[in-house]
Amino acid sequence: MALLDVKDLKTYFRTDDGIVKAVDGVTFSVEKGQTLSIVGESGSGKSVTCLTVMGLNPKKNTISSGEALFKGEDLLTMGSRRLRQIRGNDIAMIFQDPMTSLNPVHRIGDQLAEAVLLHQDVTKKQALKRGLELLKAVGIPRAERRMEDYPHQFSGGMRQRVMIAMALVNDPDLLIADEPTTALDVTTQAQILALMNNLQKEFDSAIIIITHDLGVVAETADDVVVMYAAEIAEQGSVDSIFGRPHMPYTWGLLGSLPRLDTDLERLVQIKGQPPSLLRPPAGCRFHPRCPYVMDICKKEDPPLKPVSGDADHLAACHLDEETKDREAQKLIAGTLAAAS
Amino acid sequence: MAQTEVAPASTDGRFGPELLVVEDLKKHFPVTRGIIFQRQIAAIKAVDGVSFSVRQGETLGVVGESGCGKSTMARCVMRLLEPTSGRIVFDGRDITKISRADMRPLRREMMMVFQDPYASLNPRKRVGFIVAEALEVHKLGTETETKRRVQELLEVVGLNPEHYNRFPHEFSGGQRQRIGVARALAVNPKLIVCDEPVSALDVSVQAQILNLLKDLQRDFGLTYVFIAHDLNVVRHISDRVMVMYLGHAVEIASRQQLYSEPKHPYTGALLSAVPIPDPQAGRERKPIVIEGDVPNPINPPKACWFHPRCPRFHEGHCDVVTPELTSFGNGHVAACHYPLERWPMTADEMRMASQTSSAR
Repeated sequence: MALLDVKDLKTYFRTDDGIVKAVDGVTFSVEKGQTLSIVGESGSGKSVTCLTVMGLNPKKNTISSGEALFKGEDLLTMGSRRLRQIRGNDIAMIFQDPMTSLNPVHRIGDQLAEAVLLHQDVTKKQALKRGLELLKAVGIPRAERRMEDYPHQFSGGMRQRVMIAMALVNDPDLLIADEPTTALDVTTQAQILALMNNLQKEFDSAIIIITHDLGVVAETADDVVVMYAAEIAEQGSVDSIFGRPHMPYTWGLLGSLPRLDTDLERLVQIKGQPPSLLRPPAGCRFHPRCPYVMDICKKEDPPLKPVSGDADHLAACHLDEETKDREAQKLIAGTLAAAS
Repeated sequence: MAQTEVAPASTDGRFGPELLVVEDLKKHFPVTRGIIFQRQIAAIKAVDGVSFSVRQGETLGVVGESGCGKSTMARCVMRLLEPTSGRIVFDGRDITKISRADMRPLRREMMMVFQDPYASLNPRKRVGFIVAEALEVHKLGTETETKRRVQELLEVVGLNPEHYNRFPHEFSGGQRQRIGVARALAVNPKLIVCDEPVSALDVSVQAQILNLLKDLQRDFGLTYVFIAHDLNVVRHISDRVMVMYLGHAVEIASRQQLYSEPKHPYTGALLSAVPIPDPQAGRERKPIVIEGDVPNPINPPKACWFHPRCPRFHEGHCDVVTPELTSFGNGHVAACHYPLERWPMTADEMRMASQTSSAR
């Protein structure tokens, strides 16, 4: 059994303008020790998916359905007391913005200890000791002294490390990281990713990493979910998504990336904007931006189905296999040809 | 420290004469204490002796970590900040000391595109006004001409000219950045300084803006100074690249040279830290992790600014003698006592090389 099993998850928000279908039928699972990466543009539902799993959406005006089984227990229907026991202890989350997700008026040490005290029967002293251990583990120099500091005394990279230390303080089985490195410089990003990788090896935790940086995806993920307009456009192992992408949206994402290893005069661009989730387009939600659009795309929403020869690689597209293979090879050959 | 050598611009004939020459530019922000009698107790050396030049039609990329002085440098070049010392020559004219009134007609020749498309457009003004404002300030054309010009510009940057009367909030991030580009283009500038124009955007939208900037350069012969922290983006758009660290230019080279044979260990570390969007190559990649954060510019390290984090640090040399920008041919300059012999290199090789060469 998978550690986390999300089945047909839907999250709708009631707004003054109507119902926003922020997540519309998402299914995936994460195994112990594995890293799942969720990619997509802003507003594609990546973050809402994770917030729903964590039970962090506002109760009012949110309608959730489906299942999110964590070790067999459904997180969506669970009581709030049980959820609080799991949250921060078995499942922890690293938020995107380290500037705003720490409490500015409490010392770092106290904030770390609070997370331990909430979930373990220990004294404040033991909790502080545990906090210090983690602060050292995430590579903060002079950790003893830094425990006494306030968040504003830390740089962005250091604050993000504190966030990671806080998330890991209770050895979670599942770590959800929402754009953990987006606000950071490449050098700091490399440090943070190496750190998460080491911690995963040590504790055999599962990680869900939300990002729009395909470079980060390629280097950290085992499995990838590509989301577009609240739905899964394509999902599969990282090698199959990068090696044999089967959906024009994924091609667009891969092609639009300037990269160090190739030399392209022009980037592939996906024309237009992501659609409004209030009134998503009929049929395939990508059809207004898709260069391969056919009549059927405008009428029928393509189901997520396995591609031939790989049962774990799912894609939602009406295009025939032959065209998809040919176009995907063209894209990959294009970048490779430019590289050589 | 004397660091007056100007990096020679690229020598190939694709570009015109030097449009912008910056010599030994410094910008120090005073740190004061006291309420009535403020005395200066220290200075933040945001930019501390940067020299470079940009030729007409060329794109100079500027990279570095946050806090390295990229944006301050750009604002000094635009004379939005008063430089502490140094010389800025634009189109053959020294603009370092000229008055605001004299600067005004020059403003239309150098424009800026800002990082945050949400903060850089006035939310209470219509798009037509935002784009037309520069035209009105410089009294270029009548009302009808201005309107026609604005609609033309909106079309050039790929927006619907009918959106003339809309407000910024009605547009998405990518569209807003297009408005920012249209505004910069309005007065036919020679130079556009882009300060992180795509870092707030999604990859697909980022590609649209990068393609747009390239097309505009081709069509209008624009010169760009393009600031970004994303090395992939800089590589894509630049002809030459300047790497900045703690207010100094540590390496300037053509794009080809910088990315294939970097000389400064900092450049090497930056390059090795960029994730590659290819699962196989990516997993094998071993980034050269440089420890710690950028030092505080109030109290920067002595001699070589990078020595506390450098894998090739030599005690008694790097922390005593300040490295000068030295030439490696073809306009490639770097400020390092122990430049990299080859590339790519692993972290161990970088360090071992430093031990063997310490004999000299």
